[in-house]
Amino acid sequence: MKKILAVLSILLVVMSLSACAPKKATYEIAMITDKGDIDDKSFNQGAWEGVKKYAEDNKKTYKYYKPTEISTAAYVAAIDLAVSGGAKIVVTPGFLFEPAILVVQEKYPNVKFVLLDGFPNNQIYTADYKEKITSNTYSIFYREEQSGFLAGYAAVKEGFTSLGFMGGMAVPAVVRFGYGFLQGAEYAAIELGLTSVNVKYFYTGDFADTPANQQKAAAWYAAGVEVIFAAGGKVGNSVMSAAAAAGKKVIGVDVDQSAESPTVISSATKGLGASVILALDSFYKNKFPGGTKVSLGADVNGIGLPQNFAKFTKFNKAAYDAIFAKLVSNSIDLKDNADAATADLLGLTKVIVTLEN
Amino acid sequence: MNIIYFVVQNSFLFIVPLMIVALGGMFSERSGVINIALEGIMIIGAFFGIFFIRLFSGTMPDQVLIIVAMLVSITMGVIYSLFHAYASINMKANQTISGTALNLFAAAFTIYTAKVLVGAKQIDFKNTFRIAKVPLLGDIPVIGDFFFKNTYLFTYIGLALLLLSSYVLFKTRFGLRLRACGEHPQAADAAGINVTRMRYAGVMISGALAGLGGLVLIVPITTNFSGDVLGYGFLALAVLIFGQWKPSNIFFAAVFFGVTSTISNVASIIPFLAVLKLPSAVYKILPYLATLVVLTFTSKKSAAPKAAGEPYDQGKR
Repeated sequence: MKKILAVLSILLVVMSLSACAPKKATYEIAMITDKGDIDDKSFNQGAWEGVKKYAEDNKKTYKYYKPTEISTAAYVAAIDLAVSGGAKIVVTPGFLFEPAILVVQEKYPNVKFVLLDGFPNNQIYTADYKEKITSNTYSIFYREEQSGFLAGYAAVKEGFTSLGFMGGMAVPAVVRFGYGFLQGAEYAAIELGLTSVNVKYFYTGDFADTPANQQKAAAWYAAGVEVIFAAGGKVGNSVMSAAAAAGKKVIGVDVDQSAESPTVISSATKGLGASVILALDSFYKNKFPGGTKVSLGADVNGIGLPQNFAKFTKFNKAAYDAIFAKLVSNSIDLKDNADAATADLLGLTKVIVTLEN
Repeated sequence: MNIIYFVVQNSFLFIVPLMIVALGGMFSERSGVINIALEGIMIIGAFFGIFFIRLFSGTMPDQVLIIVAMLVSITMGVIYSLFHAYASINMKANQTISGTALNLFAAAFTIYTAKVLVGAKQIDFKNTFRIAKVPLLGDIPVIGDFFFKNTYLFTYIGLALLLLSSYVLFKTRFGLRLRACGEHPQAADAAGINVTRMRYAGVMISGALAGLGGLVLIVPITTNFSGDVLGYGFLALAVLIFGQWKPSNIFFAAVFFGVTSTISNVASIIPFLAVLKLPSAVYKILPYLATLVVLTFTSKKSAAPKAAGEPYDQGKR
């Protein structure tokens, strides 16, 4: 009996090996996922949808690769795998890919890299700091502070005067969302002639839906916060859960999250998919803007709120278009993560920021 | 006063799942099988329970739906725990390794299955189970505010399970036999107790409770389940040890963990704590620090079942 089993299992292994050996499929467009998956309803999904749409519209082969863990070594290994799988252009969504891209852009000079939310560097913020972009890498940033600005503006215009910002890890993109949110609230408060708007401000340090995040949000709502801007992937799901229990509101992030919960009144989005499509298109038209860095803002529709204002009672499309036009013309001077070390140093006069730890 | 009510009501979100899962671990270890697969069983229980809620949301009254979902979680938890039982009782495998294997498998299985069933890693669900106020009981001054407002049905089920566990373990013939198998299985066998059957019972009860605990943990805290219970299965093991394998102590350990965790999250709205401006990490450290201190002082006369972790060998003396 045991011998038969052994023979059978050997046969099985041999057959499965021979089954995949002859043809080796290649995939021209590759995406490596960051923390989270291609269906995280947030950052990775936004980028992946862009890859998928472009590839299907233009009949290109595409595939995503999931690193075995969250580390530069694993990211590099995943990129190695993508390149050996025939990738000509690799999309890497997220700040955490910066050190990996610094390595692979020189390792694979013939492969193009699109780095979202980051610029190739070693992330060692001391004298050993090193950054470099080669002609095969295109670095795309988003002006999250503008997106957050719109969210904060809309919230205060809607009549909320007690707000909360719950970010994930304090990475630059999240910080920009937060700072923008505060400045948007300030701008609206000045327009409306309000004396003060209170904002509780907190980074959870993760991108997860935990009892801790749910309780924090529940505590804020219990203390009178009317709407929380949740900028941290699945942190948002905990906030939505707390909001549903308290009958309060949430502002989503990255992509339109209104389908996730009826509590989501709007979302501070960034045009992940659109910018990926543009980058891929330029690559296939031999106009790849390698070696450069862009910051996509309102002027190129790189950020914005979804065009559905049904969940607002006072704020509306006209008000949105007016403020959006001001961002497009750059007539509002916004501070970002480089301008203030912490959120209470933004020099706001109407917004009272309570930093929590 | 409102803040105190708020803290108590919210603490139950931690206390109940931790306590239920730790009680499950207790039954298994009392029968002589170490079950570190609690985490994995919680994931399986939460997965099937949440999936059931997603499928049948709106087809039956909310409180009926959650009861049926709890039964689904319990059933799947039991089935999943049978793997551990078979490996560690029949095959006399190393119980730590078997448990670890189940933990690893559960996380992968739920993600894979979710992708096949709903096309995404996350399973969205609607949490319609919160009870704003229990009829009549919620009107009692003070007590009503503490225990019968802003709550869930499974809070009471959890407390009932605590009493039931204590009764079963210490006041029934079954409980005595179970404990005997965890202390000295050879003696139990000589007295005519079927050790294999008792150990199966212990592991299956732990599967039932851990499966239930997974669902109870996830439902209040998010809007979609993504194959993770955030290490609460392991935290429940800590509660079990902190509680010295006794239901009443497990309850107090769970309360201690639950209240300190809650305070760490909501300290900023509690006036006298907000003034101190302590980093929330201080409160978060407390339960673990306390576990270390308690273990330091009690480890000499630790109440761990003597035969826990050892496969039963009839020939051994």
